[in-house]
Amino acid sequence: MRFFMRLNLFWRSFFLQTNWNYIKYQNVGLAFVMWPFLKHLYRRHKTELPQVMQRYLETFNTHPVMASFCFGALARQERKLVKKQNLEILEEHRNDWEGIKRSLSITTASIGDRLFWGSLKPLTLLAALFVWLALDVNFLEIEPAPQPKAYVFIGMLCAFVLFNAIALFVKWKGLQIGYMAKDGSCFGLTKFDWNQTIYYAKKMGIWLAIGMFFFATYYFLKDFNGVSDFQVKTRAIAVAVFVLISFITRKLRVPNTYLYLAAFVVFTVASCL
Amino acid sequence: MTSSIFVLIAVACLLELDTTYAFQFTLSRGIIAGPLLSLITGDLMAGVQVGVFTELLFADVNPLGGILPPSAVTCCAVSLALHGLCVPLYIAFFFGVVSAVLFAYAERTLRKYRIRWLVKWEERIIQTPSLIYRPVFISLAAYAFMSLILILLFVLISSPVALWLTEHLPEKAHLACKFSFIAIPWIGIATLISSFRLKAR
Repeated sequence: MRFFMRLNLFWRSFFLQTNWNYIKYQNVGLAFVMWPFLKHLYRRHKTELPQVMQRYLETFNTHPVMASFCFGALARQERKLVKKQNLEILEEHRNDWEGIKRSLSITTASIGDRLFWGSLKPLTLLAALFVWLALDVNFLEIEPAPQPKAYVFIGMLCAFVLFNAIALFVKWKGLQIGYMAKDGSCFGLTKFDWNQTIYYAKKMGIWLAIGMFFFATYYFLKDFNGVSDFQVKTRAIAVAVFVLISFITRKLRVPNTYLYLAAFVVFTVASCL
Repeated sequence: MTSSIFVLIAVACLLELDTTYAFQFTLSRGIIAGPLLSLITGDLMAGVQVGVFTELLFADVNPLGGILPPSAVTCCAVSLALHGLCVPLYIAFFFGVVSAVLFAYAERTLRKYRIRWLVKWEERIIQTPSLIYRPVFISLAAYAFMSLILILLFVLISSPVALWLTEHLPEKAHLACKFSFIAIPWIGIATLISSFRLKAR
């Protein structure tokens, strides 16, 4: 695949989910991403394009970052398809194409969900929180003291750059790997040890989250230490109660959002009575 | 309503596109949208706090498959707009969270009914493949417009209620609101610990 074609697919991949729906998911997005490649590939067989587009408009759903592996692999398969003249072989390759689309989208979705939404997103959140607390940007108090703009943006940029550097790298490389992959390498997915990466990311996440809990607790209590023993104790008890409630509601599968809304209404009504 | 709040809502509806519809550079995350939107209202620390609280509160819901988490941008925009109208952040945030949940419902409904419109477009695209650009651009424009209307509506409806509550709630109730507000980061951090559980190697 030429560089500019790859760049074109890469740019278009940012619109994969524009027409997300509950029946065919990202089908229009897939057709939109692959359109310049198909137009180029079928430039001598333009009459076949409607049929080809029909295939691309069937159900497709995967993770937006990992989808680039699918684009690369489908482009490679499509190149094989366009060369076939014999009807029987063509039908066989179409079935292969369909199978690859289905199986690869499921695999990449599973990896992407665990890696990007389940590990990287919370990890970058923790990184930003550490940076902010280290720079004295205190978000734990009701009325936080103002801080320089630069301090605020360092934390924000830390999360933004960390996430996007990895996501964009995987997106760009995925296109190339998926297209160039040899048979038997699971369309290039075996190039990375995804399970190991996710395992270490999660392990790091647990330690960082525990570290954040102790760091935030220290931060929450440090200004009152020695000033008012009562306030330190009250705050420490409050933190312990909040964490305990969180663990209980997580066991009961109550979303945090509903827990907060319920707490707000119940506490406010109870205090008015 | 001041002009800066209108600008805030307009920027929020553009940031909302980043959630699913375009780019996904994570500009729509709470910790990024919050401080960005607060540049418009001027209270940067309020932006950081709202952003962090939004992200920690919604940390237990990920956009897996068809799951739609509450909209972080809507939560930040409504909270900061109300805060800009002199509502304390601990009350404004409640309305922000309610708006975010309602926004997710609206988005779910849109996704559900979009297929009827898309079926017609699919037929047209199969006949003329070069039309593939149109449903994409129409969707982007329609979603940005829907976000603008919804966020504006949420701010218009919730601002008089929030202002009334701020004035008429007894001191004890204000304390209760502060208590539930200050609990959010701790609940969120505890959620993060359990969300990193190692299920399989």
